[in-house]
Amino acid sequence: MNHFLPKKILKWAMQTRIGRSIFRVGLPESNLERSQAMVSSFLLHVQPAKVNRHSLKASYTLGLGLISLYLLLILVGTGTLLMFYYVPSTDRAYNVMKDLQFVISAGLVLRNMHRWAAHLMVLFVMLHMCRVFYTGAYKSPREFNWVIGVMLFLVTLGLSFTGYLLPWDQLAFWAITVGANIAAYAPIIGPKLQFLLLGGHTVGQEALTRFYALHVIVLPAVAFLGVSIHLFRVRKDGGLSRPEEVRSSVDRIALNELPTNKSYGLMELARGTTPQVGKNPDDEVFSWPHLIFREIILFLLVAVVLLFLSIFWNAPLEEFANAIHPPNPAKAPWYFLGLQELVSYSAFWGGVVVPGLLVGLLMLLPYIDRNRHGIGRWFARERIVANTLFTFCLIVAIVLTIIGSLFRGPNWSWQNPWKQQAVQTESH
Amino acid sequence: MHKDLTRKFYGWFTFLGLLVGTLIVLGYCKDEYREWKDYQHKYIQEEIKRAATPELKAVAERIPVEIRQIILPDLNRVDRCTSCHLAVEDPSYGGYPQPLAYHPHHAQHPFERFGCTVCHRGQGRATTQADAHGHVEHWDEPMLPLKYIQASCGKCHDNENNPGAPDLARGQQVFETAGCRGCHKLSGIGGVVGPELDKVGARRSPEWLKKHFLSPASVSPGSGMPPQKFGEQDLDAIILFMLSQTGETAPGYYASMKVIPSASLGKGLFQQKGCIGCHSVGGKGGVVGPALDDVGLRRTPEWIIKHFRDPQSVTPGSVMPRFGFSESEARALTEFLLHLREQKVELILPTLMSPIERGHEVFRKYGCAGCHGQDAKGGVPNPNAKTAQLVPDLIHVADGYTKAELKSRIQKGQREINSLDPKLPAPPLYMPAWGGTISDAEIDSLVEYLFSLKPKGEDVGF
Repeated sequence: MNHFLPKKILKWAMQTRIGRSIFRVGLPESNLERSQAMVSSFLLHVQPAKVNRHSLKASYTLGLGLISLYLLLILVGTGTLLMFYYVPSTDRAYNVMKDLQFVISAGLVLRNMHRWAAHLMVLFVMLHMCRVFYTGAYKSPREFNWVIGVMLFLVTLGLSFTGYLLPWDQLAFWAITVGANIAAYAPIIGPKLQFLLLGGHTVGQEALTRFYALHVIVLPAVAFLGVSIHLFRVRKDGGLSRPEEVRSSVDRIALNELPTNKSYGLMELARGTTPQVGKNPDDEVFSWPHLIFREIILFLLVAVVLLFLSIFWNAPLEEFANAIHPPNPAKAPWYFLGLQELVSYSAFWGGVVVPGLLVGLLMLLPYIDRNRHGIGRWFARERIVANTLFTFCLIVAIVLTIIGSLFRGPNWSWQNPWKQQAVQTESH
Repeated sequence: MHKDLTRKFYGWFTFLGLLVGTLIVLGYCKDEYREWKDYQHKYIQEEIKRAATPELKAVAERIPVEIRQIILPDLNRVDRCTSCHLAVEDPSYGGYPQPLAYHPHHAQHPFERFGCTVCHRGQGRATTQADAHGHVEHWDEPMLPLKYIQASCGKCHDNENNPGAPDLARGQQVFETAGCRGCHKLSGIGGVVGPELDKVGARRSPEWLKKHFLSPASVSPGSGMPPQKFGEQDLDAIILFMLSQTGETAPGYYASMKVIPSASLGKGLFQQKGCIGCHSVGGKGGVVGPALDDVGLRRTPEWIIKHFRDPQSVTPGSVMPRFGFSESEARALTEFLLHLREQKVELILPTLMSPIERGHEVFRKYGCAGCHGQDAKGGVPNPNAKTAQLVPDLIHVADGYTKAELKSRIQKGQREINSLDPKLPAPPLYMPAWGGTISDAEIDSLVEYLFSLKPKGEDVGF
């Protein structure tokens, strides 16, 4: 395929003197160059030179982790551009939103991209977590990486939640008020926690300053560190999880059965939990192009979907925040609506015990679940108990979230989402 | 590497790359196309058409297509209305169809100082018609219909003595005489039966207010407010007055003209400050100073205002003291004296009111009429009240109460009103406790007034 025009241009560009100084290897033609391309590039060397065929299967990973990473990168990019305009002041933040919409070039589409990418990232991090659970990928030796993953999930929620306040409209103000009130239900430390988060007893300038600092410095730094460790661990734990059969294929070969006419030998076999464990050279392909090209295609797909959403659907912006006129009902961001629904039954049980227990269980999961079977396959029969329990919790969470977002009207009373709601007026 | 696989990859690269490219171009075009640019092109075309000489044509062609905005930090506003309404300051565009029409009468309120939305409301930062005019979701302040535009004058000026806002003054008068304060608080004065009205104009539309006055329960379910029977003009005036209650006050420079130095304000000052001690108008007053009926013919306005600032400066040796009038007071008094050359004015000399007259004032001031009817004659419905489903009139209170009893009744109020049918909801109107609001002396006058209501010649029943 040497007629592909972009490839021709790239090839030419890499052969120039400047191109060679930057790319060194150029567009790889041989297997040696393919390895060198991966190892010699700063951006590519994070990934292995060769990768297991199983890890490339879209049907196994669904690309969910990578999509989450792409969304994070897009969020950092669009967020940085938004920072050029944003002022974290209760007087001016809302005006900036209006200026983005009405006079700043591409301001609206930029804000839309940031908003939709943020929602999508929460969604895809959740989906990624489900994938890892259903394929049993959190089991040894990847236990700790699962814990890092759960932390990254919480950081993602924190990033989204802190960003939610920044437009300083009614939606932002009351969603954060509700969210912070949920935090206050925690026993003993709850009210202190709320005070610490808001810098006061109500959402105001102090809360905006804190949320801004958390949103643009603290949490992104934590996320960056977390993602780095997460990816580092993926490689150190021997790549993505795979079914046992593939792993054990090395063990089955007795030493004396090793072919002598091959160029590889003992040096490619190892024990323990080093990156080489379970690697059968026959199952491996070069990352360039098999992995890299797939990654580029996935990125383009994410870009297409996000651009499409952002061009045709505007991010919500309600009235200027007004502490005297709460909307009825005041709702938290969608990912906390299941929690808000639980809180409506019991503040203590719904707001503290259940979510606390769930996060704790998620963190400890790889240490509780000692079942060594069913790694690397979707819905493995051996994991029927774990899968059933997880599915049950998941369905309950989804149902609660749907009830909270669609079926709850004024005063958190039951409403029919398909029926036109009467316009709410304050009664005298 | 398999040839097939590479071909597939490159196919996807091409397809998705083109798709991303198309979307970026689409996004760019959508962002570049803005409604206001159309209007600006129209304006430039019009200017080119009007150009008489090639030089003027060249000038017109160079008019940039760009956002125009008036930045008003003191008012926390950025008004971009002039991005579409480009000819507001050009009288030659008088009578042009919008958005290119000229804005008449703006000499007192130059655009660069006041912008547009401080009077017209709407969303100044917006640059599309729908958003700017404000009839969109999530924007509380749509443009005021021109009919109600005087509602905005009250942000900077007093409602009374504003020659430019007669409808606003009328609205206030309707508010004070219809007895709204009996139930509603405004600027801290009034009852507690209904909601406070301090910011009602920022929340309610003219349509809502109209429906509300004619049939309160139709827009506020459960409201106990009786339907109001205003004439067409009074209804518009009270709606306008309600719209003016936004709770917004203008800062610094904008409030400096709070009191407009009008002739009617001058007349009030003239009576208040005791000018007639020395001067006479229409034959009334002292003779120490000259009569002032024709001073406007004898002196220039500049002379008069200088005289108010310092009499010695224009009439050396004058015995008139320097009163230290504020600038707007001096201007108002000058307006009044100038006004005298055209019109005879009847001065109302301050007289002592009788306790009954004072009591009538108190009755008016606190909106008792809202529930007890004009002049306490009753007739206001109070559904399910035992007293014939009406708020009682007060014509005969002298028969049932001693003065001390009546006073304590007004001070303590009555929260629970007896129901006609205990199964139906309790009557919505009740008597608030006025003790903390109306002063002792005022209640005494009020009691005097109420006792005076008993028709003459009618004796104690039986």
